[in-house]
Amino acid sequence: MMQVRVTVNGRVFERDVEEHQTLLRFLREDLGFTGTKEGCGAGECGACTVFLDGKTVNSCMVLAVEADGSSIETIEGEAKEGKLSVIQEAFDRHHAVQCGFCTGGMVMSVRELLQRTPKPSVDQIKEGIEGNFCRCTGYQQIIEAVLDASGQKELADKGGLKHA
Amino acid sequence: MLQRFQYAAPTTRDELLGLLAERKGKARLLAGGTDLLVNIRNGVMKPELVINVKKVQGYSGITWSQSEGLILRPATTINDVLRDRQVRELFPLLSECAHDLASYQIRNRATVIGNVVNASPCSDMAPALLCLGAKAVIASKRGEREVPFGEFFKGVKKTVVQDDEILERIVVPASSAGARGLYRKLKRINGHDLGIIGVAVMKKDGLVRLGISSSAPTPVLVDGLGEKDDIETIVAAARKAISPISDVRCSKEYRQYMVEVFVKRLFAEVE
Repeated sequence: MMQVRVTVNGRVFERDVEEHQTLLRFLREDLGFTGTKEGCGAGECGACTVFLDGKTVNSCMVLAVEADGSSIETIEGEAKEGKLSVIQEAFDRHHAVQCGFCTGGMVMSVRELLQRTPKPSVDQIKEGIEGNFCRCTGYQQIIEAVLDASGQKELADKGGLKHA
Repeated sequence: MLQRFQYAAPTTRDELLGLLAERKGKARLLAGGTDLLVNIRNGVMKPELVINVKKVQGYSGITWSQSEGLILRPATTINDVLRDRQVRELFPLLSECAHDLASYQIRNRATVIGNVVNASPCSDMAPALLCLGAKAVIASKRGEREVPFGEFFKGVKKTVVQDDEILERIVVPASSAGARGLYRKLKRINGHDLGIIGVAVMKKDGLVRLGISSSAPTPVLVDGLGEKDDIETIVAAARKAISPISDVRCSKEYRQYMVEVFVKRLFAEVE
């Protein structure tokens, strides 16, 4: 066991953790942040994507002990004071959520993409979410949601599929 | 769930090399973890001790100088390479290969050194390092030695690095600065996927080198070619250097064929 101190969505947590525990299991099982999901456990699907010191990572491939002293952001920190973020609202508007399993990780990758590319092209969006699998939507609605969230509503509406 | 192991996060090189010497063969180095933790999860590796290298002083960042060349270190990530303006300008082939490696999240975490010591035949960074004439500087308590990447890979998942050693620096020589090059990887999908085959073509001062992945037990270097050679000579050299197998992704004949196609296309495309 080792003692680990992390900040998650602005709150500080101190816990004893096993050396072989992944950051994903630590967030879900020890701290209760179950919005972050385990899909493949091997870095293929991106359902476990969180921010670690400002960079997106697959939390299934990070040890909890490696995160000692770090600041982590998860999907639970996306809405502020009960209000959905711009990205979440756009996902809602464009039906970019079906089963929802990929959504937590997907929103993390989209937030990261928009931080570095405020008005991404469709190709840049596809590349930004290439590490996040969605088995429900076929990605079209997600791409439209990202276009909308980045102030490109006209392009989003031309996306081919109309919702809402 | 991962099997149990002990964990160490040394902050000095001496401490790290001491641990490696002491726990010879029982320890594994952790940098990005994107291969190691998957291997532990699958039971392929069962280390007693996992040593995080990222906290060791002097083990991160990228430096470039005319006298020393370009230096990549154990904690240098793939995205560090992609964000580096000097790498983009002076060694564009490195950026090309880095860009095709896995997904954004993995590139944030995975390291260049991890990618080569993992020694997968489909390593994306190896083709660039082979073409650019890079060398590996390998350290242990016994001392330091240099191995050119052309002699670094010894088989599938096998390299010259011994149990008590760490690949401490990758040095890309200043003489390769300005080399033009492209890398292309054949994949089942447009996004995050392992390569079916990958080909890098480099041209510099009349010389041509090829770096080929997923077409032999190790990444392959084809050297000794010139820009004035006709395309059939170049393709024949590539064909001779590779020994592809048939597997879940495709047949060896298809690999052979597509390596030739990619060599032809890239040779024409690299200005």
